[in-house]
Amino acid sequence: MNFEEKLARLKVNSFSYLRSDWLSQMIEIFSSAEELLRQDAKTISKEGKIPLESAEAFLKSCAMLDAAKEMEKTEKSGGKILFNGEEDFPQRLTEIKEAPLLIYVRGDLGDVQRAAVGMVGTRKISPYGRRAASKLAGDLAQSGVVLVSGLARGIDSVVHAEAVKNQTPTWALIGTGIGRCYPAENRELARAILDTGGAIISELPFDAPPLAHHFPRRNRLIAGLSDVVVVVEGEVKSGALITAKMALDQGLDVMAVPGPIDSPTSGGPNKLIKEGAGMVLCANDIIDAIPVQKKFGLKVKKLYNESKAPSEPLTEQEQKIFDLIGEDSKSIDDLALETDLQITQLSAILFSLEVSGIIICTDGKYSRNKFN
Amino acid sequence: MLCSITSACLKGIEGYIVNVEVDIAAGMPSLTLVGLPDQEVKEAKDRVLAAIRNSGFDSPTKKITINLVPAEIKKNGTHFDLPIALGILGASGQLSDAALEKLKDFVFIGALGLTGELHASAGVLPMLIALSRQGKKRAVIAQDNLQEAAYACIDIFSAQNLRQVVDLLEGKIPFEQNREKNPEFLNIEEVYSEDFSEVKGQSLAKRALEIAAAGGHNVLMMGPPGTGKSMLAKRFATILPPLEREEMLEILQIYSVCGLLNRRKNNFQRPFRDPHHTISNIALVGGGQNPRPGEVSLAHNGVLFLDEFAEFSRTSLEVLREPLETFKVTIARAKETLTFPAKFTLIAAMNPCPCGYHGHKVKVCNCTPVQISRYKAKISGPLLDRIDLTVNLMPVNFSDWEKKSEGPTSKEIRQRVIAARQIQKERFKNTQTTANAFMSVKQIKEFCALPKDGAQVLELAMKKLGLSARSLDKILKTARTIADLEGSKDIKKEHLMEVLQYRPLDRKGVSDI
Repeated sequence: MNFEEKLARLKVNSFSYLRSDWLSQMIEIFSSAEELLRQDAKTISKEGKIPLESAEAFLKSCAMLDAAKEMEKTEKSGGKILFNGEEDFPQRLTEIKEAPLLIYVRGDLGDVQRAAVGMVGTRKISPYGRRAASKLAGDLAQSGVVLVSGLARGIDSVVHAEAVKNQTPTWALIGTGIGRCYPAENRELARAILDTGGAIISELPFDAPPLAHHFPRRNRLIAGLSDVVVVVEGEVKSGALITAKMALDQGLDVMAVPGPIDSPTSGGPNKLIKEGAGMVLCANDIIDAIPVQKKFGLKVKKLYNESKAPSEPLTEQEQKIFDLIGEDSKSIDDLALETDLQITQLSAILFSLEVSGIIICTDGKYSRNKFN
Repeated sequence: MLCSITSACLKGIEGYIVNVEVDIAAGMPSLTLVGLPDQEVKEAKDRVLAAIRNSGFDSPTKKITINLVPAEIKKNGTHFDLPIALGILGASGQLSDAALEKLKDFVFIGALGLTGELHASAGVLPMLIALSRQGKKRAVIAQDNLQEAAYACIDIFSAQNLRQVVDLLEGKIPFEQNREKNPEFLNIEEVYSEDFSEVKGQSLAKRALEIAAAGGHNVLMMGPPGTGKSMLAKRFATILPPLEREEMLEILQIYSVCGLLNRRKNNFQRPFRDPHHTISNIALVGGGQNPRPGEVSLAHNGVLFLDEFAEFSRTSLEVLREPLETFKVTIARAKETLTFPAKFTLIAAMNPCPCGYHGHKVKVCNCTPVQISRYKAKISGPLLDRIDLTVNLMPVNFSDWEKKSEGPTSKEIRQRVIAARQIQKERFKNTQTTANAFMSVKQIKEFCALPKDGAQVLELAMKKLGLSARSLDKILKTARTIADLEGSKDIKKEHLMEVLQYRPLDRKGVSDI
């Protein structure tokens, strides 16, 4: 692919309202993106079977983008642009429906064919979702799986953070250009992802803002780069479920983490399980679903043999408090009422329980740390 | 003829002596007032001449010049009426020689009505205190100011009108007749209509408030509506230790300057101020054209309760940082710099999110994660750094409400608080510090030594719970107070563990967002 064609493809790619398979088709019809750009709106409308206004908007958007500048900015930020059809373009992404024309990458993709697990979920995370996501992601990262997610708030952030914590690469498919960070509070996390050998990937122009229609599009890339997609938490209508659908369309395994039936954020995964998705009870369930040829090199054994660290036996009072906390979460007030202990005494007991990791405290409420 | 009268004026909440010089000379009838008088002072001209006439004296038809010394400081207030009137009477020869001689023994503060009646004016107490410090022995003031004036160490004659004042000077009324005894400070029984035992459950919040009262710590209460945040805050005043004489005097001076002292009965309770969240910055910390103390100073030695903390404007919250750190407000102007004391305990209450129900057991919160984090971010880090105790309040459901114990009464808690304060008083003898919360870094080092296992607790908390190191000082101060409440000489590890209950915001990954 020559340089001019690359520039032309960058321009063509800038109009994010049209599907990329439509673009590929048009490029095929006119033999190159350069040629496509030379057409007028009428021809494009006729050949591409789209309304005239859309064709006009498409051409206008293409003309607006300064492709050379785009390349320069990407390079300056330490990123690169990979074109579909070139050798360095990830093979996985050529195989999906609606394969992207090109992707912008910051950081290092490494071996793209490695075992990778997409973990997605709601932005409005529940304490349960946080626990589940961090436990599963942590175990997967330790076994050497690349975690793929979307760098959004909630589950996505937990997943990436676990990978960073375990010093393993992780891929973030974002819904903006790679020149931006959305949400802004994840800037530190994004930097850490790059530092630990991960990559931030987007098919959108360098400075593309976070528009609503960008996110479903990037979900297909999450699915595209993964071997298995796991939905941790999400409402019945949510981005996580879109990703799951995309994964199914691409013939991937979709798995889901079951949750309480009355929790709205577990509605999505529960529905998926009902419809036949694999149920995730531990990280091994996910690893089992990874194609056999990719399991080579994963440190799976460790997970199977994982034994609980011997913890000190609880004192009588600690056991009493632990039992009282039960399956629900309790505030220190509830405990004070049920035990007639003073706040001072209760604090000491709760502290030692919390420090030993048996219980956790969220917003002043104590609950059992289910994954310990 | 010339006549000079001693009076006083205010600069911020400090009084200073002002000499009112009146000169009457032949010439076109006129009255000139010099010495940087403000509008209120200038209006004295018309009031005084009418008052003189209506009290049965002659208002002189000559050239009258009045000078307020020191002439370079701006003067305000209506209380110059009485000294000006007496000056005019003296300078126009309407007082006897004996009376003129007697004038020198007194200071005069009071506003006049057109009938010659004496009215109350603001700031009488700080002015009298300043005068007594300057060695003045006797003062004449309006009857309505008598109550507050009684707290100054100066002999007082309170008059109803100008005529009475002249009669006093002429010797027709004996001075002693109107003298008020200084009231007793500490024997006053405080009566509150509310009690802590009325709040059911919420034992953690109650305990936090007890610690706050004992050590002067600031508290932030977070919880959904209806969990009793306001109820608890209102009852906080009932467990505070009684006022010391010095504290009382400071409070009275501030209230006197603001003209807020009740004429009939003085309020012997610690101030409890709860400004609405729409308050302006100036109303909150003080200032204005003639700088006046703001809510933070009115809460001096008492409680400033900010309900709906996150609804206050961002700038209002940020201006609170200075008084919270330095316990005073400094208002700097090109010409002068004023300082108002503002040592208060901050009790703040807020919802966990805009709709209020984030973390509620039953009700569903409809806020988006962005809304919630934006809501919480309104309270900036530096401001949170000045809050020692934070508690999350949970709603109490009915069955719990029925069985929940009432807990100790205000009286019981107060006794513990007083005992803890007594220990602190002993500890901070001969220093400026009054309570644990106000300890300097050096004092923390001196008085908050950690036991060996205590250091271990903190290390564990940092490692396992993600406690940040910057809150260590606050943890130590609070632990000191808990130890004092228990009567323990040293801080024990249990005390530190309890403090950790009140630092939920320090923990990593604490929130659901």
